[in-house]
Amino acid sequence: MELSRSQSLRIFIVLVALVIAGRLFYLQIIDTRYKEYANNNALRPIVLNPPRGEIYDRNGLFLAQSREAYDLMVIPRDVKPFDTLEMCRIIGVDKAELVGQLKKVGRSSRRPTVLFKLLDKEVKMKFEEYTFPGFYTQYRTIRSYPFHTGGNILGYVGEVNDNTIKNDSYYKRGDYIGMTGIERAYEEVLRGRKGVRMELVDVHGMPKGGYADGLYDTLAVPGVSITSTIDAKLQLLGEELMEGKVGSIVAIEPKTGEILMMVSSPTYNPDELIGRDRSRNYLKLLREPRRPLYNRAVMASYPPGSTFKLSTGLIGLQEGVLVPSQRYVCNSGYYVGRGVKCHYHDSPLDLRYSIQTSCNTYYCYVFRNILDNKAYGDVKVGFEVWRDYLLSMGFGRRLDSDFSGELKGNLPTVDFYDRVYNGKWNSLTTISLSIGQGEMGVTPLQLANFTATIANRGYYKIPHIIKSIEGGQIDSRFSVPNYTNIDPKHYQVIAEGMYRAVNVEGTAVGAAVKGLDICGKTGTAENGRGRDHSTFACFAPYNDPKIAMSVYVEHGGFGATVAMPIASLLLEQYLTDTITRPGLVEYVKRMTIEYPQYDNK
Amino acid sequence: MLSDSGYYSRKEGAIFAGVDWPSVLIYMVMVSLGIMSIYASVYNDSNRAIFDMAQKSGSQLMWTGISVVLGVVILLVDSKYYHYIAYQAYAASILLLLSTFVFGRTVNGAHSWISLGPFSVQPVEFAKLTTALALGKYMGGYGFNISRMKSLSRVGMIVGLPALIVCAQNDTGSAMVFSSFLFMLYREGFTGWVYMVLGMIVFLSVSSFFVEPTALYVLIFLIVVAIEMRDNGMMKQKIVYVASVLMAMLLIFFGGMVLRHEISMMRAFILALAVTLPMVAVYAVRYKLRNVVVFVVFFICSLLFVTSVDYVFDNVLRPHQQHRILDLLGLENDVKGAGYNVNQSKIAIGSGGLLGKGFLQGTQTKFDFVPEQSTDFIFSTVGEEWGFIGSITVLALFVALIFRVMRMGDRQRDTFGRVYCYGVAGVFFFHFFVNLGMTIGLIPVIGIPLPFFSYGGSSLLAFSVMLFIAIRLNCNAQYQSWQ
Repeated sequence: MELSRSQSLRIFIVLVALVIAGRLFYLQIIDTRYKEYANNNALRPIVLNPPRGEIYDRNGLFLAQSREAYDLMVIPRDVKPFDTLEMCRIIGVDKAELVGQLKKVGRSSRRPTVLFKLLDKEVKMKFEEYTFPGFYTQYRTIRSYPFHTGGNILGYVGEVNDNTIKNDSYYKRGDYIGMTGIERAYEEVLRGRKGVRMELVDVHGMPKGGYADGLYDTLAVPGVSITSTIDAKLQLLGEELMEGKVGSIVAIEPKTGEILMMVSSPTYNPDELIGRDRSRNYLKLLREPRRPLYNRAVMASYPPGSTFKLSTGLIGLQEGVLVPSQRYVCNSGYYVGRGVKCHYHDSPLDLRYSIQTSCNTYYCYVFRNILDNKAYGDVKVGFEVWRDYLLSMGFGRRLDSDFSGELKGNLPTVDFYDRVYNGKWNSLTTISLSIGQGEMGVTPLQLANFTATIANRGYYKIPHIIKSIEGGQIDSRFSVPNYTNIDPKHYQVIAEGMYRAVNVEGTAVGAAVKGLDICGKTGTAENGRGRDHSTFACFAPYNDPKIAMSVYVEHGGFGATVAMPIASLLLEQYLTDTITRPGLVEYVKRMTIEYPQYDNK
Repeated sequence: MLSDSGYYSRKEGAIFAGVDWPSVLIYMVMVSLGIMSIYASVYNDSNRAIFDMAQKSGSQLMWTGISVVLGVVILLVDSKYYHYIAYQAYAASILLLLSTFVFGRTVNGAHSWISLGPFSVQPVEFAKLTTALALGKYMGGYGFNISRMKSLSRVGMIVGLPALIVCAQNDTGSAMVFSSFLFMLYREGFTGWVYMVLGMIVFLSVSSFFVEPTALYVLIFLIVVAIEMRDNGMMKQKIVYVASVLMAMLLIFFGGMVLRHEISMMRAFILALAVTLPMVAVYAVRYKLRNVVVFVVFFICSLLFVTSVDYVFDNVLRPHQQHRILDLLGLENDVKGAGYNVNQSKIAIGSGGLLGKGFLQGTQTKFDFVPEQSTDFIFSTVGEEWGFIGSITVLALFVALIFRVMRMGDRQRDTFGRVYCYGVAGVFFFHFFVNLGMTIGLIPVIGIPLPFFSYGGSSLLAFSVMLFIAIRLNCNAQYQSWQ
């Protein structure tokens, strides 16, 4: 069939139309990428940051508040030429910095990037009087600390690092996360949940209103406020008294395990670690020789010194190798093997009096009787028994508190001594462990917890820093009493010894406050680095204890010199809410200790 | 002069007698859709009034009104009149085109606009109309013979003059529109060779970017043999010939390898062709086929053309044209530079889906992601807001209108009317094909409007007048057929 020319033309037109139709079919029906591209073009997800939950002390005072701040964001691709000087004036930077920042973000990306962080609200209001295409501000919350206290307890909030972003899809670059302390331990409660609003933008990046009536939007859920167990006034006084000294104080309410105070000295003002100066101040703190960012309360492993005699006594009682009335003779030392020296006191003496006077010799006897118990036959078995008791008292392991960064301290093992002494060692080799010296270390938190156990006459509750979460519950593990492997009946005599040390006669009489029935045990811990550490473990009142505490002052000398007066003042403050000895406060504050170990490095 | 002007009269008072109402209906639908699309493309929250004269949609509405009035006037005027004024109109439009060199204004790099008070006029839009009229008059005149070089060269001059002027104004796209008269010339019996050569040029230009040269040479060889067979038949001889050439090529190639004298495939192929040339000579003489010489020349020219494509691309085309072509062929993907418009247009159209996002709901349209959207890229609005269904509807409307105008041409008693109608159909088809092809990334970006849709008074007016003159000419054919 021969086609006429006009027919051929018609067929040609139809063919062309079919090609176009086919292409349209491909673009509009088959290939779904274009819908995505269109959304990338015209939809901008605006992240809504929730305010961070606030932190109160146990009496409802603010420890950490949230206030609003604004990040200046830029979408590089949408930036049009603008008056740089004007912008510099508004946000208060010089031109070089602005230009440098802009150069850093490039110009082609359409991803919103933080240009300047955490601007004040006033700056944001001023900024919004002008229009700078491609720039906008984003709400953030920033911390403020009314007491300027508790840096190491509260921890700080910082920008997430790449690792976190990779492992947790919730976080995006530029987000903030609790890095240490309570901020980290309760991050998920405090942070709330981010929301998102889909916004339509035109080709210039100017917002054009909501998308699909908010169908795909989610609201930000504000962070939950939490009440901590900290007593702000006590904490504040503790930090004051520790000023100029290196060390730590931990106080616990024995019945509940609530941490009433936790001082790590030197501390820092948490206000320094917020806002735009954070990274600079952080580096400064990091470089300080006394290491203020190191939370000694839960991390430092100190030789406990004489405070540890309490546990040796308890184990002896439980093992049946000691009765409270047992008397030993002390001639200013225990002269077997390498020997342990003692100071002058009445002799012979029983268990209570040994606590009062802090006799070294007495505990050498007890310790050897535990390890060399004939029932076990081998010192290594005896050592394991001794060690298990200590573990049950919370030494040599993490207490599983809600505080992040807790360390184990150090409780040596049989293997350790086997390695050091080639398997040839006995109770004399390890004798200094009896009085809390030698190859061991405890954290101030562990010591405070042990003191609380004595105050409770046999049990402790896991120390924790959070009292309640608004509309939530704290972990049930904090409300169960944990009994040690020592029968509770044995604790009474130890508590008695501590009571007498303060109130009758002994090393700690200087701690006594009339009517408070303070019980305490001093410690003077030798260490290889200089002057002895001064430590004091105490609780009060003797009956129905309300507070248990450990104080540790590095290189402070005798336990009675520094740690004890500090503890005494703090107990008085907590129990009576008054200070009756301003002279003692002055004395403690004025007492300066040299730390060549830190400062001359 | 008209030989049968006596028939050209209608019933008294019947202005609309014989009017091709389907065409008018399609026209009205298209123009309405056009105004809606323009409104959508400039729509934002602050200007909501579709009839606001300060807005493009309002302005387009005004031009539609003027066009319709003019359409009615055209229907009132005696059809002889268009024949009479054809040359004068042509001359006037050439003068208008030339005047842009004096009074002109540059828009988007093209120096092809004249400002008339508040309006800007693009003379080239009217030149298309007058060229169609002049062609009709010339080709319908005494002594015109499409097979004669003299007649053809006159036609070439009528078309070429405005095209050259427009080209000089840097408006290459509009200049190319004048090639659309080839559509009409085909209908009038212009030799098929021209179209074959054109087709071959397009095919080879594109292929030369993708196909390896030797393979392309072989391909051209096979195509030419196939075309020759279509004209002369004798399949057996063709098979023998093709087989011999390929055998010879392989022999030379492997022979070279054996003799340790490397011969490239390309050279082997050309040598094989040379060796087998006597076969072609014998064949031509034996069957007394003169046209074989033409095919041989055609083949050699094709080879030369392919070889020169690279040179032309590198040295003749300007960088922005090079980028457009590379982008289209998918050899370059620069969605921020040369490919930006097309990419955004494809995104808008592609995101429309089957049913579209709905009137005024297109995010790409509303928020100005597609540049030139109310003018050259107006179809992206249709694609986004009315989806595949809407796009196909517009496509169908155009095909229907073009068919309608062709039908008008076929019904004309005289050459003038037929040439005119086919000329108009060709212009419509060219605009429709090139514009849509450009917005969906089928052909390079050539900035010409989509008739009846794109914003612009000049083009709307010119296209409307073109259509209504065709309708007017058709009225008489209709009337005559009743008698």
